Amino acid sequence: MKSLFTYLLSLRGLVLAALVAGACFLSHRFSAHHTGDTVFTTLYMHLVPAPLVEPHHEPAAAGDHGAAPPEQAAPRALLEIPLKLPALAAFDYRGAVPPGDEPKTALFNLQIFQVLAVVLILVAFAGVPRYLRTGKGDPLTRLLAGFADWIRGEMVYPIMGKELGRKFLPYFLFVFFFVLFMNLVGLVPYSATATASIFVTGALALTTFLAMIGCGMAVQGPIAYWKHLVPHVPLALWPLMFVVELIGLLVKPVALTIRLFANMSGGHMVVLSFMGLIFFMGELWGPAGAWGTSPLGLGFAVFIMIIESFVAMVQAYIFTQLSILFVNASVHPEH
Amino acid sequence: MFNPVEGAETAAQLGKFGAGIGAGIVAIGAGIGIGKIGAAANEGIARQPEAANDIRGGSLILAAFIEGVSLFAVVVTLLIAIAK
Repeated sequence: MKSLFTYLLSLRGLVLAALVAGACFLSHRFSAHHTGDTVFTTLYMHLVPAPLVEPHHEPAAAGDHGAAPPEQAAPRALLEIPLKLPALAAFDYRGAVPPGDEPKTALFNLQIFQVLAVVLILVAFAGVPRYLRTGKGDPLTRLLAGFADWIRGEMVYPIMGKELGRKFLPYFLFVFFFVLFMNLVGLVPYSATATASIFVTGALALTTFLAMIGCGMAVQGPIAYWKHLVPHVPLALWPLMFVVELIGLLVKPVALTIRLFANMSGGHMVVLSFMGLIFFMGELWGPAGAWGTSPLGLGFAVFIMIIESFVAMVQAYIFTQLSILFVNASVHPEH
Repeated sequence: MFNPVEGAETAAQLGKFGAGIGAGIVAIGAGIGIGKIGAAANEGIARQPEAANDIRGGSLILAAFIEGVSLFAVVVTLLIAIAK
């Protein structure tokens, strides 16, 4: 059993750690700081995705210019993207469209970590092909090659079979490590969990949904796919069963979305609740209450964080495994 | 005791009360379901240790399905709780 430092202390591990630290710094510097009316809401604000804004200026520096500084002006977003469709106005990043302005969306701090997850995959797996050809690689490369081999041998091939599995393997490998890296980086201090946003998990589930429908229609034929959705039933029952199966088809990606989102945000909520308990007791009983509660609150928070790091891996596994099952079921209909 | 002026407010409070009870019932149901899976999986592994890996993977998937249903219920209770 090698220790964690063996994996981190290669050049690749250090680059990965530096990338994560840099992304956390960027996210911390450019996201707006929230304050709620109670300590609990302030803590929970950290779960809400924050739009990237220009870094705050010091009040003293603003006063030098003579003109009255705009005190309560909202900080300007780094990058605003106008939403052309009126139906998308509800997704405005300011909560509501201000009068005289068009609906816009902005870059959020989650996007930093989504891009980071892709870059981490590229850096971490850059040495894997050479390792598979020559057998030479650092410990991290060997670990990840084993991981990828496990996904192929234990998850994709037993369900899809070798022939079909070969075609879908890159997608499932990417989904697994994308979700895994987003989940794990979300446990680092000053970071944000991209998978704790329902829009990110929804988009991931949407790709699975499109793979289900697209590949099902490509393999079985566009009309036969919808016909095979219904198992053999009496003709009178067919319309009812078609509706039921259609709902079943739509529920699958929704369940994938909500499962990942709720698991990732739920763990954070529990940790923040234990942290908030310390501040709550501090307000109630003064510093003695806060100091008295902190060993308990911190101990429980650390315990939940350990569980969360396990949940991060299990949820990546479950998301990928269920995607494999769903895509396989739509490509091979039951007869 | 029941004041019609406060009726609407009481109804909103009762809604939150119901959401809390619902979340508790969800926890009971999910606990029973996952507990039964865990019991059967452990029994299966004890009887057939060579099939441990398959059983473990299968029970994780089944637990995920139960979890999915209970999360739907949690979302419903959350919608009730935050409704104005």
